[in-house]
Amino acid sequence: MKFYVEPLSKCTQRLGSLSEIESKPTVNIKTPAVMLHTQGGQIPHITHEVFKLVSRKSQILQIPLAGMHTFKEAMQYYEGTISSFIGSKDSLSCLTLQDPCNITKQGHHSTLKVPIWTKNGKVYYDAKSYMDVVESFKPDIYFLLSDGDTNISSSEKRIAKSVSNTMNFYKECLDRHRKSDALKHSFVIAPIVGGYKQISRERYISFILEDMKNVDGFLIDGLHNNGPEAEFLEFNEIEPIVRCILNKIPTEKLRVVQGCWNPVNIINLVELGIDLFDTSYCHILTERSAAMTFAIEITDQTNTYEINLRDSKYVDDFQPILIGCECLSCTKYSRAYIHHLLSVHELLGPILVMIHNVYHYLRFFEKIRSCIQNNTLQTLQLSITEQFRNHQKTK
Amino acid sequence: MTTKSPLVFSILTECGTSKARVSRMILPHGPVDLPVFMPVGTQGTLKGMLPEQLEELGLQIMLANTYHLGTKPGTEILQKAGGLHKFMNWNGCLLTDSGGFQMVSLLKLAEITEDGVRFQSLNDQKAEVMLTPEHSIEIQNAIGADIIMQLDDVVKTTNPDKERIEESVHRTTRWLDRCLKAHQNPDTQNIFPIVQGTLYEDLREKSAKDHIERDVRGFAIGGLSGGESKDDFWKMVHLSTNILPKNKPRYLMGVGFAEDLVVCCALGVDMFDCVFPTRTARFGCALTRKGQLNLKKEQFKKDFRPIDENCPCNTCKNYTRAYLSGIVTVLPVACHLLTEHNIVFQMNLMKDIRQSITKGKFPDFVRDFMLQVYPTKNYPSWIIDSLSAVNIKLK
Repeated sequence: MKFYVEPLSKCTQRLGSLSEIESKPTVNIKTPAVMLHTQGGQIPHITHEVFKLVSRKSQILQIPLAGMHTFKEAMQYYEGTISSFIGSKDSLSCLTLQDPCNITKQGHHSTLKVPIWTKNGKVYYDAKSYMDVVESFKPDIYFLLSDGDTNISSSEKRIAKSVSNTMNFYKECLDRHRKSDALKHSFVIAPIVGGYKQISRERYISFILEDMKNVDGFLIDGLHNNGPEAEFLEFNEIEPIVRCILNKIPTEKLRVVQGCWNPVNIINLVELGIDLFDTSYCHILTERSAAMTFAIEITDQTNTYEINLRDSKYVDDFQPILIGCECLSCTKYSRAYIHHLLSVHELLGPILVMIHNVYHYLRFFEKIRSCIQNNTLQTLQLSITEQFRNHQKTK
Repeated sequence: MTTKSPLVFSILTECGTSKARVSRMILPHGPVDLPVFMPVGTQGTLKGMLPEQLEELGLQIMLANTYHLGTKPGTEILQKAGGLHKFMNWNGCLLTDSGGFQMVSLLKLAEITEDGVRFQSLNDQKAEVMLTPEHSIEIQNAIGADIIMQLDDVVKTTNPDKERIEESVHRTTRWLDRCLKAHQNPDTQNIFPIVQGTLYEDLREKSAKDHIERDVRGFAIGGLSGGESKDDFWKMVHLSTNILPKNKPRYLMGVGFAEDLVVCCALGVDMFDCVFPTRTARFGCALTRKGQLNLKKEQFKKDFRPIDENCPCNTCKNYTRAYLSGIVTVLPVACHLLTEHNIVFQMNLMKDIRQSITKGKFPDFVRDFMLQVYPTKNYPSWIIDSLSAVNIKLK
């Protein structure tokens, strides 16, 4: 797999593509892009079969190890790749460590081991056991093991530990990658840790710059502990550290952030030159019965940012979630029906909300790409920011 | 104005040996090939399946529950929506029950009088509510299903009090007449009477004979599948189908196990419904001709075969037992995947029954089917007896 991007400057919006994928030569993913967040190999509430009713385009599935740990043993015997095992052989897979939708519990550290929380509780991975899994999963893209358990209030000691642990993981995982035949076509993303301390980030980056062969991209790790809180991070708090990192890393490689960033922060991060995100935001919204209704195009007929379909005012509202939206939920189902499903706890309720949210978010990313192309990203940013602010005020 | 009947029934082929028949019933929302199994979409949705998917599977008819829909969203919303078909975006046929069964089974406090069923509402007000035959039809008229059920006086099948059962038989017929009188949409909805009488042959005969005198287009057999012995069960079905006219469809309520379907088709039943296939999917059980697979079991963890190699459903095309085993009862999507499989299983069974009757091979089909379920030929006596009553010898 190759990543091509332009312009090659440090902190500006850019357009790129992931292509020349060995197993899927016709696939071409345009960046800035969004990976489909999965749990246990499925987009929450949407089976791969139903997703085909949402979009026929090729996608990258973000597959957090936390939900896949249960298949660790089975995958040693399974002959195919993780994409085909989870029932989506035409998708690209990106194996990640933590689930962006679930809070990564702090603490629980152990030298040279990282805890993940599976359905059966806490499990530790070290570089060897992690790479064993990666080799048996054979993902198209994967993150190297990292200790990214830092956030804006982490202590210096924690940051130092996160850096030293991750340095060790980096070396050991890359060594193993270089020897592995099964992984010779896998695209490697190196997490960058160091919390909110510039000096730690710089220290970590100069360490990996010494030996960067086989590294195809970077994950800006350690900005938050995942889960719903990431939605409300203030951009001015993360901007300095993100800029510091982007100024130091090679420009031609893929840049990834993980987490449920709100649309305003997505645009802000795109403006800094981030290439790849995930749909965890769609899931977080769906879990609180909220549907995205912010306008992407000026022509979108909406005066709300998001709506909560549990609200009893929708009981006899036979309009779609968003007038003019062409997703399956909006073309075939009403707010009243979805409200009914949610209020009687039927499975189809969150399915219809999630279909709309994922569709809307994919459309949002399409708009971002076309705005970069036309040099109008700032207009979009102003519009989304204003809608977001108004929404915060009315809450 | 069209004066077309809302139910046109035609027998296509009769089995030369048993009472089984293949027929076709044309309802306002399309044709239904009989014998048919109707999955249950209690609250206006079928357990995580989109109507688009059900249409794709070729499903022609499903069931919805009047009691649940009358409580939520309620008749007012259903009327505003233009009926349940429009509300839930299902263009196929629908059948609703009368609500009486739920009242007696769900609500301990239900009290039955000549007027109707008095019960304490489950909604917030906990008010005392009376469900009369007129009210049941009013709700069912608002729902707008193609086939609707009379309110019947339900007595627990295992209740031995003959006096009470005799009362229920007479009352059910009186309520039938009230339902027919109250019915507002005789041109678009068909009321089916329900044959009652639990396990008393004389009472069941009386009930069936009273009902066939009414001007209706089909009949239901109720009060079975409620914990009685299989020996009693099949005899009551046999007796009922002997009395009910050949030229109208016969619906056996609450039956859905594969063996029961095969036997009761032989006894001349045309329509079935049961929550079992969709309910058992939620608990991780997949149906096959050889029996159920409980996918939670350890033995499937490294089983890379589909649930059933011969099954045409998407779940069997795309997923292995090993994968499903890791997600059943953990992810809601696993329930969708197994529900699809189980519905396809039921539909295929009915299709095979129809085809074998058409080809004049039904007795062979029954023998092959039973041999798959009981490879050592240790057939339960009720199966041997019931089939032999319609000239199909198993051994």
